[in-house]
Amino acid sequence: MLDTADARTGGRRQFRLRRPGPGTLVRAAVVTGLLLILLFAAPALLSAYYVDSMTQVAVYAMLAIGLGLLVGRVGLVSLGQIAVFAIGAWVTARLLFATSQPYPLVLLEAGASTMAVGTLVGLPALRLRGLYLALITLMLAGAFSIVLATTNFPNGGHGFLGYNGSSVHIPPIRRPSIATTDPAYFRYAVAVAALMFALVYAHIRTRPGRAWIAIRQSEPAAIAAGINTTMYKLWAFALASFITGVAGGIYAGAVHFLYSIDFPAQDSIILLAVVLMGGVYSMWGAIVAALLLQLLPALLNDWGVSADWLTILFGVGVLQVLTTAPAGLADQVPKDLARLGRLILRSTGPRHRQGVSEHDRG
Amino acid sequence: MPSWQDFQPFIVTGLALGGVYALSGVGLVVLYRATGVVYLAFGAVGAMGALIAWSVTNAHVQAWVGWLACLLFSGAVTLGYGMLFGPALSKRDPLVKATATLGLLLVLFGLMDLLWTTSGGQSRAITLPTDNSGFIIGQIQVTWTQVIGLAAGFAITAVTGAFLRYTKLGTAMRAMANDREITATLGVPVRRVEAAAWLGCGLLAGLAGLLLADMVALDATTLTFLVISALAAALIGRLRSITLTLAAAIVIGLVQNLLVPIPSLSNYNDMTPFVLAATALLVLSRRHVIARSREET
Repeated sequence: MLDTADARTGGRRQFRLRRPGPGTLVRAAVVTGLLLILLFAAPALLSAYYVDSMTQVAVYAMLAIGLGLLVGRVGLVSLGQIAVFAIGAWVTARLLFATSQPYPLVLLEAGASTMAVGTLVGLPALRLRGLYLALITLMLAGAFSIVLATTNFPNGGHGFLGYNGSSVHIPPIRRPSIATTDPAYFRYAVAVAALMFALVYAHIRTRPGRAWIAIRQSEPAAIAAGINTTMYKLWAFALASFITGVAGGIYAGAVHFLYSIDFPAQDSIILLAVVLMGGVYSMWGAIVAALLLQLLPALLNDWGVSADWLTILFGVGVLQVLTTAPAGLADQVPKDLARLGRLILRSTGPRHRQGVSEHDRG
Repeated sequence: MPSWQDFQPFIVTGLALGGVYALSGVGLVVLYRATGVVYLAFGAVGAMGALIAWSVTNAHVQAWVGWLACLLFSGAVTLGYGMLFGPALSKRDPLVKATATLGLLLVLFGLMDLLWTTSGGQSRAITLPTDNSGFIIGQIQVTWTQVIGLAAGFAITAVTGAFLRYTKLGTAMRAMANDREITATLGVPVRRVEAAAWLGCGLLAGLAGLLLADMVALDATTLTFLVISALAAALIGRLRSITLTLAAAIVIGLVQNLLVPIPSLSNYNDMTPFVLAATALLVLSRRHVIARSREET
């Protein structure tokens, strides 16, 4: 409600007036601490197997924040994110084989091309809303996966497609020169993911973020408030596609070899389910989703449990989220912990009650 | 360019497949009209039903027991889902309702992978007794299964149309499609009507699963996502008209199969439903046909 008015008039001033409270500082410290641990301690502590899966967590955190941005901030559901991811990986591989450009530049180019594709798809698709938008992205992703199965990924061949048709003597996709080893590449992936998260954070705390919230609440109200809804929706599409494309670029370097079978259209459905489970209204939700998608399977594999149980869990999870807990795990778990804490407090003595009820109100 | 001779067999398979898409599409349309749910788990339910039929048949029981088990399972799962989650989500956006069925899809998908593992390369197949007999038109061999596929599409569409038009339950479903609240006020047992729609859709999912398992492949992934072809037909019918859905399904089936003998396009023939549905969605959105749907309220 407030955001609708914000985006047009007093938004900027209000934002400047908001002083960073102790909560903001604590949060910033926690994020920095976690990032430092991930960058420096984690590669040393984890085995090669888990460094690998943590690199994938970084990749999927980018995928999840991209989709979470669309679903949670703007209210657009895409069932074709894996196709965008595949395009990012394809462009990265093609450019890396064809040129000797530095890796970050290739990542940017991959992101720019998926951004162009996302905008091109988004332009006509934005006439549709809700369910129909979700279905058209599903259709386009399905069509794309068939094209991809025929063209294959570049593997050092010539021509536009760069596919040489053979499966022997394939050169691996190169990594950046500063991150050729697995632990170094893990750090690289985490750093890129952190940059993407910062990019999203910068958006949602400023004008576009407020416009998106207004659109999510009510599109007619947003239009009435003078928000250019088409532009901001396209902007969200472009930003999410950019991030997803960069994720594809990081994925290409992580695995060295790309196969179209690794990008099945049904993964888009699983991604949506897990992103909803993680929580779309908080950036932590994207990290939870990535852990569920990549670390949990690695753990289960380690323990000898079939990964099929995960698919079942994700299915149950999405039903649970949609019926009872719309903000997902990132919101539900802290709330439940707080409730548990309050229960413990209450059982230890009645004098805490005053403080507890005040906390409830806040 | 291939000759007319090359196309002939694909006309038959195309029509048969189109018939099955049609009966699936009709199931989807009726359920959507009655409950507002786009049932994306349709294919997964049918796939699991077909796998159950395969297991029963493999246990040396009479084959018809397997088919019955398939239909019962599909009907029961769909009805159960509708009873459990239908009321809880009835006031939500159609998008949320559709996404929730993706949850059911994932649960069934995981179960199928777990119970009928595909590793080890074992292949399964369902053969109906009508596969081996048939007749010849011109030079084309036609099996009775293919005839059943096409006939079922037309028959289900006709029966559903008559049902919606002439029976009390059908009238109630049409009323619910227009306005659920007012229908409830008029004393129509809303839950019971919805249950009937869920059950009907589930039975159709089982039938489609069996026929597609025979015609295409008995494979969890393939069958689960064949629902998209039926959905494409339903979308071209604007999730509203079952006659248009039937026509679209036949066209999708035909185009998809007639592209097979053309060498430069045969790799892309499976794109047909996606491309047609995406085009239909865009064209319909231009005419604002679907802009004013129930989600506006």
